[in-house]
Amino acid sequence: MSFSKSDRGDSPSTTDLAAYRAELHAWLDAHHEELAPRSGAPRTLQARVAQMQKVKSILFDAGWMQLGWPERVGGRGGSPMLRTELGAALAARDLADPGLFSLVEVLVPTLIDFAPPVLAADVVPRLLSGAELWCQGFSEPDSGSDLASLRCRAAPRGGDAGTATEWVITGQKVWTSLAQFSDRCVLLTRTGPAESRHRGITAFFVDMHSPGIAVAPLEMLNGELEFAEVFFDDVVVPADRMLGQLNGGWAVAMSILPYERSSCFWQRIAYLYRRLQRLVDVAPEDDRAAEAIGEAYVQLHALRARSRATQHRLAETGAIGAETSIDKVLVATAEQTTYDAVRRLLPGTVEMDDGVAGDLWRSEYLYSRAATIYGGTAEVQRNIIARRLLELGSEE
Amino acid sequence: MIGTGERAAMDETVRGAIADALARGDGADVDGVLAGLAWLEILDGDRDAAIEIVFRALGAANATATPLDDVLASALGHEPRADLAVLLPRFAAWQPPGRIADGDVEADGVATARVASAARQILVVCGTESEPWSVVVPTNDVEAQVVRGVDPESGLRAVRARGMRSSAARLDAAAWCSAVALGRRAVAHQIEGACRAMLDLARSHAMERVQFGRPIARFQAVRHRLADTLVAVEALEAALAAAREQPSPETAALAKAIAGRTAQTVARHCQQVLAGIGFTTDHRFHRYLKRTMALEGLLGSADAIVLDVGRRLLADRRVPTLIEL
Repeated sequence: MSFSKSDRGDSPSTTDLAAYRAELHAWLDAHHEELAPRSGAPRTLQARVAQMQKVKSILFDAGWMQLGWPERVGGRGGSPMLRTELGAALAARDLADPGLFSLVEVLVPTLIDFAPPVLAADVVPRLLSGAELWCQGFSEPDSGSDLASLRCRAAPRGGDAGTATEWVITGQKVWTSLAQFSDRCVLLTRTGPAESRHRGITAFFVDMHSPGIAVAPLEMLNGELEFAEVFFDDVVVPADRMLGQLNGGWAVAMSILPYERSSCFWQRIAYLYRRLQRLVDVAPEDDRAAEAIGEAYVQLHALRARSRATQHRLAETGAIGAETSIDKVLVATAEQTTYDAVRRLLPGTVEMDDGVAGDLWRSEYLYSRAATIYGGTAEVQRNIIARRLLELGSEE
Repeated sequence: MIGTGERAAMDETVRGAIADALARGDGADVDGVLAGLAWLEILDGDRDAAIEIVFRALGAANATATPLDDVLASALGHEPRADLAVLLPRFAAWQPPGRIADGDVEADGVATARVASAARQILVVCGTESEPWSVVVPTNDVEAQVVRGVDPESGLRAVRARGMRSSAARLDAAAWCSAVALGRRAVAHQIEGACRAMLDLARSHAMERVQFGRPIARFQAVRHRLADTLVAVEALEAALAAAREQPSPETAALAKAIAGRTAQTVARHCQQVLAGIGFTTDHRFHRYLKRTMALEGLLGSADAIVLDVGRRLLADRRVPTLIEL
């Protein structure tokens, strides 16, 4: 659950980070025309994905996207906090949706830590430059919070796991974000006996254009098709696309946590401050509004303080773990509080406004209801806090 | 600056000394204990560490002492000393407690127990937040009434003071705001200590209390309440760390507001987990509950700060992030 020290570069001082931030913002100011969405805020997921890929491509050409990633995968080295600052700057300027942009943070480390080096060096730059889009195939219809019960099967072609040059995958995934746009998938499969749980899972890097893959997008309650069901029907994958060890897929899945709970959260937080700013731009100047806005701001501040501490701990010790369930609970709560304030202070906007503002607020408000569900439900987080942090023993 | 190891040792010493004093019975002289630990020298040497360690320990032990007077006096440019108290604004407020009217300074606020014991003088700030004045009034000339209220052991006094306009001195424009900021951090640390203590009490109870043939800590409803309690306490700690590392009136105000909200969340969950026993005076929980209710009012309540912060955001139409990586 930790990354190796060499991959993270040295922990930067706050002064260095401030200088980097200033330089980055100056560059973003100078290139605003080029980076901004062409016709206002993108109103569809497809437009948001296109906007993100455009931004990634521009940033890659200018060298920003490679900062904070190791040179052996085409990066320019340096602390991962440089990536965090970049993602947060984009979110704060509404240049890229942090939910989409920060997927890089959970996908690239997997490749760096678990893919054959040649593969990682080949594909990582394609993701960073916006040439490709990847997805994560973890959840299944019968495996949500209980991920270790997953059943999507991978079998060695010819029957011998040790010598097989190809694997054959059959089964189904669900809630796979951006599957319909994706070129690759980090996929968790069952390779051990059905009852082997987390000891019998193997990860593969699967080409989404392979024969036998069918993607059926699911409509979310805000009308968008962000995630999909993905069906695998005898999909052949070369053995050198295995990520990590045979039956070592659980380690791959768990290795994502530190990235998801540090950099991704900081980007999300920047986005939430931006959303509160948008609310403050239009809210009535009365005490009811002041209370609701003050409340959301106080929660965002506590969350930001916590997330900052988490990231410095990660930079200093190289590891974070169960205690980030606290960060997760705080993110979800602050996000919902912020959008609750939107609904209270702009009555009718979410519910009845068919204009641009209504569409945006409605879509985001409805999406915010999932904050306590995705990435580990609020209940699972509280179970982890109770067992691992408060040491209350097992529930049985 | 005090290093990490030294800090941990100091933390343990302060907690131990306070616990020993309290163990000797009611009416413990915790101010005497702090003086014995050279509190004023530590405050002078590493202010942030001193405040954090001492106030958190006071909160954790539910001890009554008056170092807040020293914190405020030093922030207002006075040499802190045992015989100098500082007048605090009334419950929930943070504006200077005194008004300049005609030839007099009239003040109405609260003060720690020091005003009725060691203090010979009380420092009264008057005027406005941005144009503060101060006047030093002999404690013989003030009316100080014990506040029983929810926490008679808090030692707080309701104070009315009068001073002569001619003896008032103009303070630096930022002096009052800086003093409030520092005081807020101190009180918030005290609340933090109390919140941790409440969580410890509730956790121990949940592990020991058996119902339906098992410790109640096995029930998810109980576990989730304790989990939410820990989330709140950890968020408060982070906000206090941010207020120390990136100090400003704003980060201190937010830390105090978060302390108030946290105390409510923690008390609600812990009291529910403690159930019947937590509703009696046989159990220590009630002392923490009542003390945090009293502390909540010092230098601005959560509700008042949240409203003020919201008004400012709306007036400026700007949402600053305040802290950076």
